[in-house]
Amino acid sequence: MLPQSTLTIVAPIQPAEGAMVALRDVLAEIGRDPAANPLLPFGDLTGLHYGRFVILDGAVDPGSGRTVASSLAFNCCVDGPADRFLDHLTQKAGSGLWAVFQHCSGAPGPGEQGELLAWLRRHRIPTQTFYVNSLGRAVPQILKEAQLRERIEDFLDREEGNTTAGTSPASVRTAIQQFVRGQNDLGWALRPEPPLPWAWRLRDGLHRIGGLAVGVLLGLLALPFVPLFLVLLRCSEINAPHPRQDPHFRLSQFDRRHLAPDEDFFIQNQFSVLGFIKPGLFRYATLRAILSVADFVVHHFFRNGDLGTVPLLNLHGVDTIHFANWIVVDQGQRVLFLSNYDFNLEDYMNDFINKVAWGLNLIFGHGVNYPRTDWMVRGGARDEQVYKAVLRKYQIRTQVWFCAYPDLSAITIQKNARLRAGLFAELDPAAERDWLALL
Amino acid sequence: MNLELFDIQGIVGRGYGKHPAAAYLLLEVESRVLARRWLAEQVERVHTCARAPDPEAPCFNIAFTHAGLEALGLDAEALNTFPSELKEGMTEPERSRALGDEGGAADPENSPRNWDWGGTAAGQRPVHLMLMVFAPGDAELETAIAEASLLLGPGGLSLVRRLHTSLLADQEGGVREHFGFRDAISQPGIAGLHRATSGQPLVPAGEFILGYKNAYDLHTECPRVHHSRDPGRLLPPAEFGTHDLGRNGTYLVVRQLGQRVRAFWQFLDAVSRDPNGAANPERRVALAARMVGRWPSGAPLVESPTADDPTRATANSFGFHHSDPQGLRCPLGAHIRRSNPRDSLDPAPGTAASLEVNATHRLLRRGRTYGPPLSSSFDPDEILQADEGVERGIHFICINANITRQFEFVQRSWINNSQFNGLLDETDPLLGTRRLPSGRPTDTFSIPGCPVRQRISGLPTFVVVRGGAYFFLPSISALRYLASLTS
Repeated sequence: MLPQSTLTIVAPIQPAEGAMVALRDVLAEIGRDPAANPLLPFGDLTGLHYGRFVILDGAVDPGSGRTVASSLAFNCCVDGPADRFLDHLTQKAGSGLWAVFQHCSGAPGPGEQGELLAWLRRHRIPTQTFYVNSLGRAVPQILKEAQLRERIEDFLDREEGNTTAGTSPASVRTAIQQFVRGQNDLGWALRPEPPLPWAWRLRDGLHRIGGLAVGVLLGLLALPFVPLFLVLLRCSEINAPHPRQDPHFRLSQFDRRHLAPDEDFFIQNQFSVLGFIKPGLFRYATLRAILSVADFVVHHFFRNGDLGTVPLLNLHGVDTIHFANWIVVDQGQRVLFLSNYDFNLEDYMNDFINKVAWGLNLIFGHGVNYPRTDWMVRGGARDEQVYKAVLRKYQIRTQVWFCAYPDLSAITIQKNARLRAGLFAELDPAAERDWLALL
Repeated sequence: MNLELFDIQGIVGRGYGKHPAAAYLLLEVESRVLARRWLAEQVERVHTCARAPDPEAPCFNIAFTHAGLEALGLDAEALNTFPSELKEGMTEPERSRALGDEGGAADPENSPRNWDWGGTAAGQRPVHLMLMVFAPGDAELETAIAEASLLLGPGGLSLVRRLHTSLLADQEGGVREHFGFRDAISQPGIAGLHRATSGQPLVPAGEFILGYKNAYDLHTECPRVHHSRDPGRLLPPAEFGTHDLGRNGTYLVVRQLGQRVRAFWQFLDAVSRDPNGAANPERRVALAARMVGRWPSGAPLVESPTADDPTRATANSFGFHHSDPQGLRCPLGAHIRRSNPRDSLDPAPGTAASLEVNATHRLLRRGRTYGPPLSSSFDPDEILQADEGVERGIHFICINANITRQFEFVQRSWINNSQFNGLLDETDPLLGTRRLPSGRPTDTFSIPGCPVRQRISGLPTFVVVRGGAYFFLPSISALRYLASLTS
C-alpha cells in the first residue's frame, strides 16, 4: 500500500483573447482521448488515479465587487509523494504540459523542461481538505484486484455444475484457491497486500494524537467565544440573501446541457464546482477553520470507504465518492471543489441531500447563494430543488478528465479488496460463506 | 392538506380497471385557435378524481408535450418555467444516452431515430397532445373517439398516431404483461387520495401531484405564468405574484416498450435445460421468476422462494432486507428489486431511513399492454411454439411530479446501473441495456446461492423502446386556462 497525494496547479490564463480560445482547443484535443492522446497521454503515467484540467472562468465577486481573472487548474491524485509525480510528469509529458500551460501568464518557453518544472512548482497550491475513499490503496492494487475477481468469476462460470454445484462452501473456496495457485500471472494474489510503511504509520499515528491534542486545546481556548460565534453566525445566516427568496433562482431556470456531454460514459463521473465565499472575514475564517478540521477528520476517521458514517450519532455516510478536494483559490475569494463519484449526478446530489446534508452545509454553507442553513448544519441542502439549482449554477465543465479505472465503483473496489484479502486467509465457516457472497 | 380532487385529472387517482378498452391518441396542433376551441369543449368532459368513473361512460384525460404547450400559444416566459427534462424532451441526445436509448450502451433498435413516434427521424411528426380515452367496451371506445373527433372538427388537431391497448386478463382476475407475469401489483398509494393497503406506507401527494408537499416536505417547483397573462384569474396565485399553472397537475412519462416474448422464453429455455439437453419447464419458469422477482401468478419470491403460490398473488407487504439480505430468495438484480428496492438500500437497509429515501423515487404506473398475447394461457411451451407475428408490448406510462428524481433516476440509477446494490456487469434482466457506454458487456444475471452464486450470461435484449415522450398533465383549471389563451 502507498498513501495517496493530491497535486493542484493553478495558473492565470493570459488575458489576450486568443489565449483562451487556443487553450480550449488544446484541452479539447487532449479530452477526446485522455488516456492515449499524443500530447499528454495520462494512461502512460504511473501511479496516477485521475487527472483533470479545469478552466476557472473569471468573474466579479458579488461581495467585494472585485474582478477575479480566469485561470487554469490542473489537479490529480497520485500514489506516493506529489513532488515525485510532478518530476515524472514533466519528464514524461513535458511538451504536452507546455502545449497547455503556454497559454498561461509567465509560462517558460518551449523545450525548457527544467524551467517548466520550476514554474509548475511555483504555481502549486495546497488542497485544504482532501478526501480519499481508501487510504493507501494504490492504482496497481485496484487494477490487479479487479482482474483477480474477473478471473475467479470466469472460473466459476466455467465450473458451474462441475466442481462447485452441490458442494460445501469450503470445497468451493478450496477449488478457487487451487485455481488461483495454478495461474502464473496471479502469483501476487497468494499473499496479502503489504501494509503501509511502518515509518509512515508511525508518523500518521503521531499526527493523529498530536492533532487531537491541539484540537482539544484550541477547543478549550475557543470555548469562551462560542456565544459570540453563535450570535455572529446566526446574524449572518439570517441576513445573507437566500436563493429561495429570489424568483429567478429556480431549478427550471438553469439547464445543464453544456455539462451533460462530459458525463455518464463510465460508472464514475467527475464533478467540478466553483463558487465565491460569502463576503466578510467571519465567513472566510470559519470556512478555513472548518476545512482544516475536516481535512484532519476525513484523513484519520473516514479513510475506509465511507464518508460521514458516525454510528454514535446515527449518521449514515456516503460510499460512492472516490476522491474529493476542497481548494481555496483566487486569494481566498473562491472555493474550487473537485470530486470523482459513482453513477450519475442526480444520484450524487440525492446522496448529499439524503445522507450527508449536514456535512455539506458545514462547508458549502459559507458559499454565496447556498440555500439557507440553520446553525450551520441544518437546512441548507435539505432544500432539495434550490440546492440542485445552486449546483447547476456553479458546476463548471471539466475540460479534461482521466481516470485509471473509470468503470469500477468504489463499492466494487472495496469488494474486490475484500475478495483478495480473504482468498487465502483463515476463515471460520460463517466468514467463508460471507466471502463467497462477494462473488 | 385536502387534495382538490375536482381539479385533478382522473388518471392520477385510478387506472380505470373497469374500463378495459382504451386508446391513447397522439395529436398534432395544426391550428391553435381551433385546437383551443376543441380543448374548451373537451375540458368539461375530462374525468377528475372527484368522482368514481361511470362504468357505462367513457373517461377522458389530456396531456401536453412542451412543444404542444408552445403550439397552443403558451407564452415563452411561462414555457421556460417547466422543468428542463420537459423542455428538452425525452430525445435530447445527452438524455437519450443517459437513459440507455442511444449511444454505445444502447441496442441500436432503441434509438429515437428508429422510433415509431416521438423520435428524431426526419419527417416524423411532432406529438403535441395525448388524449387518453377509456371505455367499458370496444364499441363504446370507438363511439367516444368518434365523438371527440367530431368535436375536433377539421383543421384544428390531426392524429399523429393511435396507440391501441389490450388488457391481458388472466383466469384469476389479474392483469398480465406479455411475458406472462401478473403486473401492476405494487403501486404507491397517495396520501390523501388512497387508503393504505397491504402494509406499504402512503407516499406524500406532492410526489405525484404538483402543489402539495413532497417526500422532502417541500413543494416541487411548479410551472407558472405572469399574473398579467391570466387576467381572468383562472389559475390560483403562486409565489412572487405569478399564477400557478402546475398546481393539481403533474407529469407523465410515456414509453412504448416492445417485448420480444418468444426470444425471452427461448433464452430461458436454452439456459435451463438439463445436462442431457432435455427441456426443464420447472427450472425454466423458476429462472424467469428469479429475473422478475415474482412468480407468474404474482407471488413474490421473498415469500414463496421455491414454488409459485397463487394465494400470494397480490402480496405486497414485504421488505427485502430482513428476510433476504443477500438475495438468496429474490436475487438483488431481479426486476422488482431494482425498480422498487423498498428497504434494500442505503442509508441503512432494513430501516425507516431506507424506506424514506425509497419514497423519493416512486412511480405511479398507469400503462397498458398492447397487441394480442402470444399464447392466451401464457404457457411458455405454447409461446415457444407460437409465431411472433405482430408487435406487442406495453405502453409504459408513469406519473411523477419530478421526472428527473423519479422516472429518470429509476431508469438510470437502478434499472440500467451495472453496479447497482453491489452487483457487477449486469442491468435489469428484463429492461436493461446490455453494454456500458465504454463497451463493457452487462449481459449477465447473477443468482445468489449457497455455496456460491450462479451466473447466467449472454442475455439478449428483451425489451425495445419504440416511442416515447414526456407530457404535462394539467389540472382542470390549467386546461381551461390553456383553452382560453388568445395569442
